[in-house]
Amino acid sequence: MNHDDLSPELGTVLSLDNVPVELPLARVGSRVLAGLIDYILLLFVLLVWSVGMLSLSGWLGLRPGWGIGFWVLGAFALDYGYFAVQEIVFDGRTVGKRVFGLRVVARDGAAAGNGALLVRNLVRSIDVIFGVLLMALDPLARRLGDRLAGTLVVHQRQSHEELVVARLPSGWGTAETQLVESYLRRARELEPAARLELGRRLERLVDERAPGFLPGAPGPDPLPRLWNGFRQERG
Amino acid sequence: MDYARFVALRRPLWDSFERDATAARRRDFSYAEVEELALRYRQVLHDHAWARARFPGTGAAQRLHRLAVLGGTVLQREDEERFSIVRFFFERFPAAVRASVPWIGVAVALFLVSGLLGWAVAVYEPGVAVATLGPDRVEDLRRGHLWTESLTTTVPPSISSSFIATNNMSVALTAWAGGALAGLGSLWVAIFNGFLLGAIFGVTARFSMAGELGEFVVAHGLLELTLILVCAGAGLGIGAALLRAGDLPRSVTVPRAAREALVVLFGCLPWFLLLGMVEAFLSPSPHLAFHWKLLLGFALEICFLTPIALGLLRQPVPAWPLEGTP
Repeated sequence: MNHDDLSPELGTVLSLDNVPVELPLARVGSRVLAGLIDYILLLFVLLVWSVGMLSLSGWLGLRPGWGIGFWVLGAFALDYGYFAVQEIVFDGRTVGKRVFGLRVVARDGAAAGNGALLVRNLVRSIDVIFGVLLMALDPLARRLGDRLAGTLVVHQRQSHEELVVARLPSGWGTAETQLVESYLRRARELEPAARLELGRRLERLVDERAPGFLPGAPGPDPLPRLWNGFRQERG
Repeated sequence: MDYARFVALRRPLWDSFERDATAARRRDFSYAEVEELALRYRQVLHDHAWARARFPGTGAAQRLHRLAVLGGTVLQREDEERFSIVRFFFERFPAAVRASVPWIGVAVALFLVSGLLGWAVAVYEPGVAVATLGPDRVEDLRRGHLWTESLTTTVPPSISSSFIATNNMSVALTAWAGGALAGLGSLWVAIFNGFLLGAIFGVTARFSMAGELGEFVVAHGLLELTLILVCAGAGLGIGAALLRAGDLPRSVTVPRAAREALVVLFGCLPWFLLLGMVEAFLSPSPHLAFHWKLLLGFALEICFLTPIALGLLRQPVPAWPLEGTP
């Protein structure tokens, strides 16, 4: 993939064999929250550095001047390097980004290079002032550093249970499939009353349209019957 | 093919691709492994395209979309050359500075003009002295003392060297990053520092102390200003890329210009550590004669400029307005 492969459609890149892949762009909300976590952590790291330097200079018997001198240099390096170093070491992620499932990628969806990660973080002092507004206004949610570096921030969550359906009644379309998947995926998180109500309606629908598809007879809780019917592959 | 059959047939491939692509982040894969993973990525992409068209919004389509993005970040990486510190300082950095020479020229010209202006204003307008240096420092000058003497008397040089180095690096970073504001930040640093330095020399000249100030700055000042103006020039290069329309879209030209400017910045930053020590330990020292400080100042400047000058000799500066440069 190179820059010439960029699709004119915003946030969509042409991957291998020209297959379009829409990048799941992270918007201003999750990015600001991730940044907030990182800045709080940076303060903590600076505190640890200060206490550590104080203890270390006492332990090594350094003159106070040298201890303060090293502290100043370290604090400066942390201030400018905290984000960039983490993103370089952890493939475009900082602790805050990890918490919110975000990752910095190149404009074409590839892993961002070290140069790009350095550039986007060296203009952070300007982005602290204008970044939020720029992210809110830009269709690709880029701050100034992203524009300069040619990067985007995307959602990249860990894998979760997406495939919950192993068999379907014949002739079922996408809408019905989505309905069943959505219910089975969310059933454990729903309020008990809502789970029962939705489950009964779905059970009725399946029994009407595909009699005999669900095993057994309706019981007080439709979830086990639906689960067994859609989840279990039968030879 | 119906949805359930599609999932049943292809799911083992998706599972194995996800497992190996995630593992590829944590360890280096051999060429054969990468090639095999890329082959599976192709299949995943085709499944993704098919699921998006046939089963939009379903669990399979969602998962394949996630895998398509994952594969892109694992298997594709921006082109980057292998880093070598020798090659960086003797080839990449001089070449990047060479590409920025016209913009560095702009920064130097603005610095000199504003410096002259600052000097003239300070000489002919006494009120500027207090505004520039503050009443305490002006009082010191009246008594025949430079404020720089306090660098060694009130703060140990080990501390002041760190503060000086980080402060100068901050100025250089501001000059560089200021390019992102269409070059305005870089222009501001060049003009403001020129005016301030001119005004300070003007004020000390009024109190007949310019010679003493010159003796203080000669060892470190020449290279320090050079570095700041080089970074400002690099920043102006970014600003120009943001403003100028060309054959390629800005999404291509701006990152290229920023990468070149980054090379310039990283070639300059280490020097500030050395200059911080020179400014704190040697510049205020009464035991080091003026001619030695002068010699040190020129030696540092020559050390910095030599690799760039050698690069200039090998390859001429591009014609204005930077034809053929990023």
